[in-house]
Amino acid sequence: MNRADFREAFALHKDAIYRFAWRMTNSPEAAEDVAQEVFLALLRRPDGYDPLRGQLRGFLFGAARNQVRKRWREETRWSELDDEFTAPPMDIARGETASMVAEAVQSLAPLQREVLILSEYEDLSLEEIARMVDAEVGTVKSRLFRARENLRRALAPLREVKGTYGTVKR
Amino acid sequence: MEPLNDDELKRALGEWRAPSAPASLERKVLPREPWWKWVMTGSIRIPVPVLVAVAAAVLAYVAMTRQPPPQPVRAGTVSLADFQPVQDAQPLVFRREQ
Repeated sequence: MNRADFREAFALHKDAIYRFAWRMTNSPEAAEDVAQEVFLALLRRPDGYDPLRGQLRGFLFGAARNQVRKRWREETRWSELDDEFTAPPMDIARGETASMVAEAVQSLAPLQREVLILSEYEDLSLEEIARMVDAEVGTVKSRLFRARENLRRALAPLREVKGTYGTVKR
Repeated sequence: MEPLNDDELKRALGEWRAPSAPASLERKVLPREPWWKWVMTGSIRIPVPVLVAVAAAVLAYVAMTRQPPPQPVRAGTVSLADFQPVQDAQPLVFRREQ
């Protein structure tokens, strides 16, 4: 990968990588650091990416995931990786829909959160996600299912907000 | 409380939008090169029609302003065959007055 190829790859994928890191870390500074590390690693070691093993996009998401996990490790948040985690219902009095959704997604266990973000927001297929997180497709599917179930319950109070879904249920 | 259905969950998730990468990321990952380095190693992309038009214009300009080269004088071609001495020479002699 020459310099021009790298510039093109950066222009094409920087927003997606930043968005993923931003949603995973809930911090603009951390997201920028993660994205920076991902692209600088590609620049320093372009041979690390093997086109035969998948698309560059998947490779970059995988690198971003590793960076995010590295940060968690440094912040000793491994206990939160629990795959069986169940998110509590949200308190609707605390904010608007976007911030409630953000909070609900943040409250998911990281293994559920990453598959949900990659699937719902970045449109990656189950196969791509499985390759990236080094898990079976079935495992990814079940994490995604649990993440959605958690969010369905956590965000149920949104129904109570008048106008959010066009109906008011009491 | 009844959980959200698929459609409601999809809509709720759509409410959470992430920002694009900040410009500072580009500055960190792609530091600007000094201009002289760009002059030495940089490249630019030119659309083929533009390149063809510019090349045609340059060629046309060169063709229009080009002067025909001067004919070289070849020493070996000078002939004295038609060279004749003057027939009616009328020399005038000027003398300095004493």
